[in-house]
Amino acid sequence: MSRVAGGDADALGELYDHYGRVVFGVIYRMLGSPESAEEVAQNAFHSVWRQATAYRPDRGSVRTWLLAIARNAAIDWRRSKGNRMGRETAIDESLMLVDERRVEDTVIASLRAQRVRAAVASLPREQREVLSLAFWSGLSQTEIAKRTGAPLGTVKSRVRLGMARLREWLGDDEVRR
Amino acid sequence: MTSHPTDDLAALALGTLDAEETRVVRAHVSACESCDVELRALEEAAFALAETAERDTPDSLRTKIVERARREGRPRRSPSASFLDLFRRPVPLAIPVALAVLLAISLAAYAGAQRDGDRYARALSGIAGAKVVALVPTGEVAGVRGSLVIPAGGAAPYLILDLPAAPSGKTWEAWILRGETPLAAGITNDRGVTTLVLTAPLASGDGVAVTLEPSGGVERVTGTPVLAGKT
Repeated sequence: MSRVAGGDADALGELYDHYGRVVFGVIYRMLGSPESAEEVAQNAFHSVWRQATAYRPDRGSVRTWLLAIARNAAIDWRRSKGNRMGRETAIDESLMLVDERRVEDTVIASLRAQRVRAAVASLPREQREVLSLAFWSGLSQTEIAKRTGAPLGTVKSRVRLGMARLREWLGDDEVRR
Repeated sequence: MTSHPTDDLAALALGTLDAEETRVVRAHVSACESCDVELRALEEAAFALAETAERDTPDSLRTKIVERARREGRPRRSPSASFLDLFRRPVPLAIPVALAVLLAISLAAYAGAQRDGDRYARALSGIAGAKVVALVPTGEVAGVRGSLVIPAGGAAPYLILDLPAAPSGKTWEAWILRGETPLAAGITNDRGVTTLVLTAPLASGDGVAVTLEPSGGVERVTGTPVLAGKT
């Protein structure tokens, strides 16, 4: 990352080699269009390039910083385009993708991804729903409350409980590996 | 007992807080080790969630990204990064030396200043029963001077500033730097010698700076410091 901040474009390419598939995949999942995902992923890495000097390793890993930039780029793009249809598609797809039936899906290439899917699928439905609406649909907690009809406090609790269980599950899984 | 933003840590890791909520939670995290550890773990869980979406990328995407970076040239240095760097790197070495030099210059200048009717020096020389910390001009704006005054007895700390008129649409804003997050600490539109009472609590070891910001002030620093010092 220090090389990127120093103006080394090849280092940006190496960063892309490490995280490009995740960044592109997240944006694609959020927007539901490969053309839009390509444009927004390019913008996201451009933001990384422009903001590289602001990256603070003591505030988190490169990959979580990169993920935040990618998600924000997708959310900004959707807002700027007013793409309600894409947004609804993303919500529906994301809910389907965390459904229990997909846990056994042999198409899933990554074992780690499979474990995460299983962890998500093990959550109560209402926790899965708020995590999905927050993460894949980019809705605020207030927007989630309106959409689901649940009180804001309940939404916040579900986000916390869902993430805590996911974190614990992944932590246990890391220990078992 | 300290209250930890437990619900909001998970929401922050998921990226579902708005800008103001994020600022508040980040400010807490920067000063709370247990929340910092918890947030990092939650962020890694969020990244694991992201990995489930991993997929092949378009063939030309890498080339487009790298070529665009080459065309644009070096990354831009962000104002907030330079703000933090000012305290992170030079303070332990450069600023104490600079402060010592400045103090020597200031003391030497006081006598002459008194003769010249320098209002800034007179304001400083009239202080009693308080700790005074000189703020170092960064060179961003010519002709600025400032000192932090910490009165004995617990009264609010304040700045004595000597400033040129702020440009149209801008105001002078004071900041306290504790941990990673600069805290907005008051604004002034005055020119010449003025005082600015800090509106955020100041603790030993905090940094203090003054920047030019949009009129009305901002909650998140955007400008580069024109004066800086450390308690």
